[in-house]
Amino acid sequence: MKNVFLLISFLILSVSSVAQAAGGPAIELEKANNNLRDQDSLQRGAILFSNYCMACHSVKYMRYNRIARDIGWSDDEVVAKMAYNQAKVVDDVQTRMLEGVAMDVLGTEPPDLSLMARLKGPDYIYTFLRAYHLDENGNWDNSALKGTSMPNVLEGMQRHYAPEDYEQAARDITNFLEYAGEPGKLDRFDLGWKVIAFLLVLLLLTYLLKREYWRDIKH
Amino acid sequence: MSIKNNNDSSVNLQRRRILTGATGVVGAAGATFLAVPFVSSWQPSEKAKAAGAPVNADISKLQPGQMLTVAWRGKPVWIVRRTPDMLANLPNMDGELRDPASNESDQPEYCKNPTRAVKDEFLVVVGVCTHLGCAPLYRPAIGSPDVGDDWQGGFFCPCHGSRFDLAGRVFKAVPAPTNLEIPPYRFVSDSIVRIGEGPTEGGTA
Amino acid sequence: MADNQNTKFEAKQGTVLGWLDKRYPLVSTWNEHVGEYYAPKNFNFWYFFGSLALLVLVNQFVTGIWLTMSYKPSAAEAFNSVEYIMRDVEWGWLIRYMHSTGASAFFIVIYLHMMRGLLYGSYKEPRELVWLIGMMLFLVLMAEAFMGYLLPWGQMSYWGAQVIISLFGAIPLIGPDLALWVRGDFIISDATLNRFFALHVIALPLVLLILVFMHIVALHRVGSNNPDGIEIKKVKNEQGLPLDGIPFHPYYSVKDSMGAVFFAILFAFVVFYWPEGGGFFIEPPNFEPANPLKTPEHIAPVWYFTPFYAVLRAVPDKFLGVVAMGAAIMFLFAMPWLDRCKVKSIRYRGLSFKLLLAMFVISFIILGYLGTQPATPTLTVLAQIFTTTYFLFFLILPYTSAREKTKPVPERVK
Repeated sequence: MKNVFLLISFLILSVSSVAQAAGGPAIELEKANNNLRDQDSLQRGAILFSNYCMACHSVKYMRYNRIARDIGWSDDEVVAKMAYNQAKVVDDVQTRMLEGVAMDVLGTEPPDLSLMARLKGPDYIYTFLRAYHLDENGNWDNSALKGTSMPNVLEGMQRHYAPEDYEQAARDITNFLEYAGEPGKLDRFDLGWKVIAFLLVLLLLTYLLKREYWRDIKH
Repeated sequence: MSIKNNNDSSVNLQRRRILTGATGVVGAAGATFLAVPFVSSWQPSEKAKAAGAPVNADISKLQPGQMLTVAWRGKPVWIVRRTPDMLANLPNMDGELRDPASNESDQPEYCKNPTRAVKDEFLVVVGVCTHLGCAPLYRPAIGSPDVGDDWQGGFFCPCHGSRFDLAGRVFKAVPAPTNLEIPPYRFVSDSIVRIGEGPTEGGTA
Repeated sequence: MADNQNTKFEAKQGTVLGWLDKRYPLVSTWNEHVGEYYAPKNFNFWYFFGSLALLVLVNQFVTGIWLTMSYKPSAAEAFNSVEYIMRDVEWGWLIRYMHSTGASAFFIVIYLHMMRGLLYGSYKEPRELVWLIGMMLFLVLMAEAFMGYLLPWGQMSYWGAQVIISLFGAIPLIGPDLALWVRGDFIISDATLNRFFALHVIALPLVLLILVFMHIVALHRVGSNNPDGIEIKKVKNEQGLPLDGIPFHPYYSVKDSMGAVFFAILFAFVVFYWPEGGGFFIEPPNFEPANPLKTPEHIAPVWYFTPFYAVLRAVPDKFLGVVAMGAAIMFLFAMPWLDRCKVKSIRYRGLSFKLLLAMFVISFIILGYLGTQPATPTLTVLAQIFTTTYFLFFLILPYTSAREKTKPVPERVK
C-alpha cells in the first residue's frame, strides 16, 4: 500500500506544479475576488457590461431571459436594463455594433466574451480592465495585453471615481463574465455535495455488505 | 475451500438479507436519480423554448373573411376574421358535428365557447389536422367546388378528407377525431394578437 | 468447474428462466463467469481497477450516446453545439462533464490497471493473451480519446490533432500522402471532423466492446492472477474447486460495488467541483473556437498522452521520434517475453526487478510531466535522459530477469 500512496502523492504533486507552470500573461494577475452568489454585483455587472462593452462585444451564448432568471430580474427588466427595450427576451445577447464596422474602425474583430472567463480566467479580466496606463507618447496602452486595439472604456471611472468604486466596477463586470462563462456553475456547486453525501451513505452500506459477506472467508 | 458453509451458525442470514435489501433500495434510488438528467435532457431545450416563445401577429390589416397565417413553435397558426354571416351560421352546424361543444377537444378554457374564440370575430386556430397532422385548406366560400355543394365554409384536409367548420370544429364521419386545436393567445391591443400566451398569464405559455 | 453444487445457480423447469435457459445458455454463462468463477481470495486495492475500467466504459458509452443527440459534427456548428449542450440542453452540462471527466478517469484507471499487471506479473504465462488483448485495448482507447478530443473543435482540439496527424507525415515515402488521406483535406477541416466523429462514436467503440469481451473471455479461461502470483488452480479440493478461490459472486461483486461507489465519489467530486481538472481535463484554450490561422502559444496534448509525446520530442529526428514513440508503446506488448523470470509477483522477486520497475515508473511519470511543458533546452535534455531510462527497462529486463535471485513462492495464498 505504501508505494500506492507514494505514487498518488507524486502524481498530485507533479500535476499541481504543472498547473502553476502553465503559460500566462506577462504581468502578475490581481485577484478578482468576485463572488458569483452576489446577485447585486451580477446585476451591476450586467448593466456595466451593457453600457461599456456591448458597443463592441457580444455574449452570444447567453439569452436575455436566462440572464434575467439567473441574476434576479424579470423578463421586462432585463431588456430594459441591458438592451433599452430594443431586444426580445429570447434573443441572444449580441453586440450593438453593426457587422463589418469593427474591421473598418478598429482593424480587428472584437471577440465574443461568453467564454473569456473560461479561456483566460476571471483574474485576467479583472487585471486587464484595470491595466490601462498612458505610455510615453501619451497614448493608452494595456500592460496585460500590450498594443491591444481596445480603448480604455473605463477611463471616466478611472479618472473620476473613488478607487474602490472603480475597482468594484471592474469586479462586477468580471463577475458577470464569469457567470456568462458557465451560467449553470452555481447549480453545479449546489448539487455536487448532495450527490456526494448520497454516495457516502451508499458507500457505508456497500462497505457493511462487503464486510458481512467476507466473514465467510477464512484467512 | 476457504468458504464457510452457509449452515454455519456464525453466518447471520437475517443481517445479510437486511443489508442486501438496504443496499439494493438505496442503489436503486441512486440509479433513479442518475436517470433523471438523461431523461430530462430530451425535454425541449432553452433554444427550442426560445424559438417557441410567444409571437405577435398584426391583425389591423385583416379584412373580414380573410385569413392570416403565422408560425408559432414551427406550426402554422391561422387567424380568420369571421364575418357576421359566418358567425351567425355556426350554431346551424351543430347537428352535423362530432364535438360541437368542444368537450373532447384541445383549447384553453377561455376559448371553450360556441365560437371557440376570445373575441367572436377572430378565430385563432392551429392549422394542423387532428387526424395525422396534414395542413387543411381554408375554404370559406359556401359550396366550394372541391369540397361539395352543401359546404357551408370551413377547412378541408386534402390528405384524408377531414372537414372542419369555421370554428375549427370537426364534422361527423370524417377521419379526424377532434376539433382543431386552439393555442393559448391574448389580445395585446386591438391590432396585436400574441400567440402562445393566455390572457391571464404574464409569462410564457 | 462444470459439475458441482454449492453456489451454483439452477433454472427450474416450468419457470420463465427455465424456458429461456433451454433456448439460451443463461444459467451456464452466469455460473461460468460470475456465480462459479473462482477468483483468488487475496485480491488487494490494485484489483479494483478492472471492474472500474468497465464502469468508466459504460459511463463513456451512455454519456457519449446522449451527447451525440445534441452535438453537430461539422466545423461550422461543432463548437456552438458543445456550448448549446452546456447551456441550453437540460442537464447537458452534467452529461458533458461526465464524458470529459470520464475520458481522463478512463486513463487513470487503465494506467493503474496496467501497473497492477506489471507489479504482479499478470502478463506471464498463461496470461500472455490477456495482456496482449489488454494492450490492444489500450491502443484503441488512445485512438478513441484522440479522435474524441477533436470533436469540441476548440483551439486545442484543432492544433493537437494537427500535430498528431503531422506525425504520419514523418513516415518516409508515403508520409505526406498518408497525412493528407487521414485529414481528407489540406488542413484539418470539416471532412476530418466528420470522419473522426464516425470513428469515435461508432467504429472504435465497437472495437473496444469486442476487445473487452475477448479480454474477459481470455481471462476467465486461464483464471485471475493475484498479488502473490500463485496459480490457485494448482491446489483443489475433492470437488475440484480451488482451495484459495472464492466465487466472484457474491464476494467480489459486493467488494467491487464498494469500490465502484468509492470511485463514484471521487468522480462526482471532479465533475461537480473540478471539471477542468486544473487545465488538464479540459484545457483552457479549448474555450476558443478552432482557428486554422492562429496557433495557441503552447500546444500540449491531453495529459494521458504526454509521456509518449515527451518521447517523441526527445528524439531530434522527426521520423525517428515517431519510431521511438511507437516503440515506447510496442515494448509493452512484448512484456510477457521480455520478462524471463518464472516468479510472477514483485513480492517474491529480486531487487533488480524492483529497481528496474521503479525506474520505469518514475521515467514514465517524469516524461508525462515533461510532455506538458514547453521544450526548453534543459527540459529536452531531461526528456532524453528519461526516455533512455524508459527504454533501458525493456532492454535490461531480459538479461536480469533470467538471472534474478527470487524468494521462495509459497504454495498457498496466505
